[in-house]
Amino acid sequence: MSYEGDYSPLLMPPFTAATGIPVEVQSLPTTASHEKLLTAQAGGAMPDVLMLFNGWIQEFATIGAIAPVPTPALVADMFPGVLAATRIKGRDYAVPWSVAPQVQFYRRDILRQAGYETPPGDWDGWRTMARAIKRRRPDDFVFMMLLNWPTALINMLSQAGAVLLRDRDTRGNFQTTEARMTFAYYASLFADGFAPRALSTEVQDPVAAFAQGFFAIWPSGPPTLLDFKRRANELPVDRWSTARIAGPHGPGRLSGLSTSLCVSTTTSRPAEAWALVRHLSSASSELRYQRLIGNLPARASAWSSPQLAAPVLAPFAEQMREPAFSPPVIEWERIQIEIQLAAERVVRGLQTIDQALAALDTRVDRLLAKRRALVEAGKLA
Amino acid sequence: MTRQERTAWLFSAPVLAIIVLVFIVPTALAMALSVTDYSIYALADWSNLRFVGLGNFADLLSTPLFWRALGNTALFAVLGVPMAIGTSLAVALLLNDVTVHWKPLWRVLLFAPYVTSVVATAVVWRFLFNERFGLINRALNAVGVTPIDWLGNPATSIPAILIFVTWKIFGYNMIVFTAALSAVPQDLMEAARLDGAGLWGRFRHVTLPAIGPTLLLAAVMSVAGFLQIFAEPYVMTLGGPAQSTTTVLYFMFDEGFKWWNLGQASAVAFILFLMILALTIVQTRIGRRYEWL
Repeated sequence: MSYEGDYSPLLMPPFTAATGIPVEVQSLPTTASHEKLLTAQAGGAMPDVLMLFNGWIQEFATIGAIAPVPTPALVADMFPGVLAATRIKGRDYAVPWSVAPQVQFYRRDILRQAGYETPPGDWDGWRTMARAIKRRRPDDFVFMMLLNWPTALINMLSQAGAVLLRDRDTRGNFQTTEARMTFAYYASLFADGFAPRALSTEVQDPVAAFAQGFFAIWPSGPPTLLDFKRRANELPVDRWSTARIAGPHGPGRLSGLSTSLCVSTTTSRPAEAWALVRHLSSASSELRYQRLIGNLPARASAWSSPQLAAPVLAPFAEQMREPAFSPPVIEWERIQIEIQLAAERVVRGLQTIDQALAALDTRVDRLLAKRRALVEAGKLA
Repeated sequence: MTRQERTAWLFSAPVLAIIVLVFIVPTALAMALSVTDYSIYALADWSNLRFVGLGNFADLLSTPLFWRALGNTALFAVLGVPMAIGTSLAVALLLNDVTVHWKPLWRVLLFAPYVTSVVATAVVWRFLFNERFGLINRALNAVGVTPIDWLGNPATSIPAILIFVTWKIFGYNMIVFTAALSAVPQDLMEAARLDGAGLWGRFRHVTLPAIGPTLLLAAVMSVAGFLQIFAEPYVMTLGGPAQSTTTVLYFMFDEGFKWWNLGQASAVAFILFLMILALTIVQTRIGRRYEWL
């Protein structure tokens, strides 16, 4: 998935040289990987070692697809916050690998024209800056928040302190002050013309759009570093930088799209599989990976390397020490999409915030019906 | 059983066995799934599986998105079938005209979109439909139309996808119609012309009765095709904006393969099957009335 999939073959030759075990890497398209892996599990065709987004670990552990980590030594040296996000009921099912906290990439030149050296860290400041930029560039936008991509909104909700599920995570909890406030702020960015009402299918090349100044602030993760490195001729390196994402009253806890390594329960070679995980999550592999794709090492000892001292990495490093935790329910992936759909309806003026949040509660209650029944029957903690 | 019958059964047995294995058995299993609550929890532990009777169907009928998907699919079919068949027929009639030169070349060019890959052409069309840089909006701009956010506006997303689908598929029926048109009796046509029948009169009373059966076949296939439309919205808009291009099949794909609610998804498949069956029966009735069958 993502650049992790494209670039991990480069990490394999040292492993094969040391152990004599050949490794075949199969890369999956990110948007289709969830269903492909579920299908693989149902069909008994799981790979020995697989990468999962941290939000999926709970789900794959529940269906018995991934094995618990056999020795604590494998996860001994991980950042505590990163490790906590991958732990299910006190057990480790995954070895944190590639940490991808979200930050805001910003166009330094555009911000400077509007009188800003760095973007503000709070929502009101964001809006004031956006107004200043929009005044100078009325045909362009300020923020890139795709209307079918939930990360930006989920981060806003988590920064606003919204607790999204209630009753032991069996019901939606969206009709709260925090959720209302966040939806109102999110929708206002579109209503005021600061963010384009666009889907991912419409912005085919966000890097080019950023380079052309179509928008000035892009909340995104470390893979964007690689995109910018590759296309430095379009977007010179002095034109952009990074900062932590603004929150209601300053930066706060955020969830990212970090990934971990897991071993399938059906592997016929568990010892070799865990050896590969150990190799891939070693400090030297993590640092090599960081140079290749930008994602940050989860292993604390890797952070003593001077390679991670670059100024553009500092906001990432700060943010990864303040992770947010998603509700530990296997429906979470789907609930995030429902939240985004509700927000899209508000942004497009099809529903008011109150209608959308009430509908969201109903919808999420339904999605959680099976879980609720199992929890009430005592079959699920 | 006579020897001849035995031989006949023997010869058809392999095909029948394959049909049973890959068609009848899966269909029966899907119907069985549709009365259970098979979900990811059942994948985790079989003891979580429950028989729910018609519960999935009742659930579906109270899901707003399912109705939305039905409405979107109906809109695709109601607009798309006449659009696709009309284009095919119009182009076939044009190509059939004696004054057209290089007919084989035109046929190849117009048929080409049908054999191209959906995903590749969808990417190209997404660029064409782009609000800012798209060629379509540039052309419209030249005649004074303000830019339309084709794929980003819930009101224009279905028409935009239909334009793409029509372009993509009209070539197939065009070839079928071209074959049918070549069978239109020329002596009848000339007699009609001598009797003073105009262009429309000749089409209505000579051409149409001759190509009626082909038209019916094209209509049946197109209706079934449009009710199962999936790939085009999937690659063009991912069901958006605001779920305005989520079709029944897209809904089923999401429920079943993305979220693994196979019980619910099987119920959707069953409803879709009944819908297509009902519409095909109606079309055959109409066909019988005009003696096209």
